[in-house]
Amino acid sequence: MADKLSMTVMTGSVDRLIGMAILAGGAVAMDMEVEIFLQLWGAYAFKKDVIKENMNLSEFKEKGEQVVKRMKELNLPMWFDILKQAKDSGAVKIYACSTACTLWDVKKEDLEMVDDILGAGEWLLKSKDAAITLFI
Amino acid sequence: MAELSLEELKNLKADKVIDARGMSCPGPLLAVKKSIAEVPSGGVMEVLSSDEGTRRDVPAWAKKMNHSYLGDIEEAGYWRIFVKTR
Repeated sequence: MADKLSMTVMTGSVDRLIGMAILAGGAVAMDMEVEIFLQLWGAYAFKKDVIKENMNLSEFKEKGEQVVKRMKELNLPMWFDILKQAKDSGAVKIYACSTACTLWDVKKEDLEMVDDILGAGEWLLKSKDAAITLFI
Repeated sequence: MAELSLEELKNLKADKVIDARGMSCPGPLLAVKKSIAEVPSGGVMEVLSSDEGTRRDVPAWAKKMNHSYLGDIEEAGYWRIFVKTR
């Protein structure tokens, strides 16, 4: 089994993406390989024209403003900055689902940090030998 | 290598100090990963972190990477965490 964290990311919600990015960074720091597969809303959230504008939360929406304010006070990095740092520090590969890319009418170049576009079959084979598999 | 006593830790001279105070998890650990290459073999790295998770993450990281965790000192609002490289 490979020392690898495999995350299938369906969500486009910022709160969940923060959690995903922190795990990616932690895994890289622990010298693990990381592979990420972006499905529907996950791929949407990585669009170059969406990534920084997205303020969508999945839970406790009324707390959103408070969370953003507190994050600014603490000078916490945004989820995509954490993920970028993880990518710059270790072996992180990000793939987008081919169906999602067709749906959003995007190419690899339209997505931030994405290395390649894959189908579900190849992704599952990549995930098969990962020590940790998560669906977010 | 066994952990050191508080007195021994206080007298320790680090070869490299990483100031990761103010960074949130996993920032300090990524800083540790990046800086370890600059510490000579058998040298001591000192990590300053205000993130409570780091004082547990660093020993776990050291164990995985075959370095020796020497212990930590709690200061006001941050920890000094010591690792001896393999």
